[in-house]
Amino acid sequence: MKKNLKEHAKPGEYSTLELMAVCGARAIKNGEVVFVGTGLPMVAAMLAKRLHAPKAKIVYEAGFIDSNAIDIALSIADSRLEYRASAAIGLIETLGMLLQGGRVDVGFVGAAQIDEYGNLNTTYIGDFENPRVRLPGSGGGNDIVSSAKRIVVIMKHEKRKTVKKLDYMTSPGYLDGPNARERAGLRGGGPSLVVTNLCQMKFDEETKRIRLATVHPGVTVETVLENTGFDLIIPEQVLETEPPTYEELEILRSVDPMGIYIPREQK
Amino acid sequence: MVEADVEDKRITLKEAANLIPDGAHLFWGGFGFQRPPMAFAHELVRQGKRELTIYTCGSEIDIDILAGAKVVSKFELAFFAIEGIGLAPNIQRRIRDGSVQIEDYTNLAMALRFLGGALGVPFMPLKSMLGTDLVAKSKFRTKKVKVIDCPFTGEKVALVPSVRPDFSIIHASRVDIEGNAQIDGIKGEDIEGARAGKKTIVLAEEIVDVEFTRANPDLTVIPNIYVTYVVECPWGAYPMMVYNYYDYDMEHIRMYYQQCKTEEGWRKYCEEYITGVESHMEFLKKIGFERLLKLRARKPFGY
Repeated sequence: MKKNLKEHAKPGEYSTLELMAVCGARAIKNGEVVFVGTGLPMVAAMLAKRLHAPKAKIVYEAGFIDSNAIDIALSIADSRLEYRASAAIGLIETLGMLLQGGRVDVGFVGAAQIDEYGNLNTTYIGDFENPRVRLPGSGGGNDIVSSAKRIVVIMKHEKRKTVKKLDYMTSPGYLDGPNARERAGLRGGGPSLVVTNLCQMKFDEETKRIRLATVHPGVTVETVLENTGFDLIIPEQVLETEPPTYEELEILRSVDPMGIYIPREQK
Repeated sequence: MVEADVEDKRITLKEAANLIPDGAHLFWGGFGFQRPPMAFAHELVRQGKRELTIYTCGSEIDIDILAGAKVVSKFELAFFAIEGIGLAPNIQRRIRDGSVQIEDYTNLAMALRFLGGALGVPFMPLKSMLGTDLVAKSKFRTKKVKVIDCPFTGEKVALVPSVRPDFSIIHASRVDIEGNAQIDGIKGEDIEGARAGKKTIVLAEEIVDVEFTRANPDLTVIPNIYVTYVVECPWGAYPMMVYNYYDYDMEHIRMYYQQCKTEEGWRKYCEEYITGVESHMEFLKKIGFERLLKLRARKPFGY
């Protein structure tokens, strides 16, 4: 049976992780400079480049600039990312001159906790003096969220991860509200989109507080609220997230054929 | 004629590790899975070093081993984990039992701290960290970061202290006997880090003839002036990777991660692969010729 590639896939034909990667890819515009890490953001950026954004330039903080990797990398410094890159330099170049220099359009990050102003925690769970879990830390995360023009956050949606107060603020969203970033001296635009396994969220223009944008197919607003720890603004009309097209799925599966970041069996 | 004038800075891996006194401060090279000084970490463990402080951007199994063996008590860094797999297992336990402390910065902040050390200025300004707990909270530094109004523009900037560690430890691709080093692929923060240390030890996959480096000076990323000692150290980053030389050994890395989740498992690993072998060469023999050759980089990919 021949499928129309532009047609939307039906429930059961794609996994939640695949939908999340597609949402990430759609946030990248052609020609943009994109700063990503490994995992889903890497898959999303590679997908975007093979679809609607062939001229997007992917930068990895270890020093890979305009990478055209064909194999999935496990580390941000993975030799696989060097394939057909325009340059392989270092951190002062990527995080300093490109990112802090104001040349990065969109940055992708993950987080263990997010609050309603989009501030992020990737450092401690529990008390600072006596933490339950010590997470990996900022890495380049704080640098990216401080200085990229737009930020896309990709993370798992759980009550304990969407909190009123972070255990530790590693990276700055809108801090405590309107103009707070400017007052703190931050130049980047701040978070613009949060993609989770349940929904997509954006930020209210005036209050800078997080609001629901779309719910994924099969997910209700009630389910989102049940799994959310902070006060989420619910607009009058909440649309459904556009499902992946057959074309997006086909290319996505060719980007990660071994299922390293998007396991095949997961639906 | 020329050869006679060339200074020979070569020492052995054992001699290099022996130079590091307990309590020393080290810049630790490599980034993520790329070119960590793994063999040097093993040798520090074998020699039972204590109370070291390590400065780095992001490191993985290499520093997890140093924490597990209680060689290092303080880290100033931005990131540690075993990417694609999970949290660094030994460091988790060492934080809990209080034998390791971590002062958190960002990758850009650490890279700039090394650049500041290399440039001989006391601090560097940056536009990250602002407004977050990276400024508000510190573990052991009394002066970790200071936010000021720029004296020229009035905008807020974060100042971080430069680092001039006792030693910089770098694992390069190639080096000649007088210390001119080449690094294939990304450099991470090694260019700045190599120039920040009071003494710099360059380990490398291979020693090349001075004729080769002198014929290609544009390929030298760390010139001899900065380099105190040179160590020939093939497969020195195994089980991690060196661009153009070899890929990582995921099977070994996963085994490490699983086994080191418990103290008992870590002790077993340490005994089997580090303290139970006499040298780096014995370690490589234990891993095995066939296994290593399977990891060799395939042209034109570099991995």
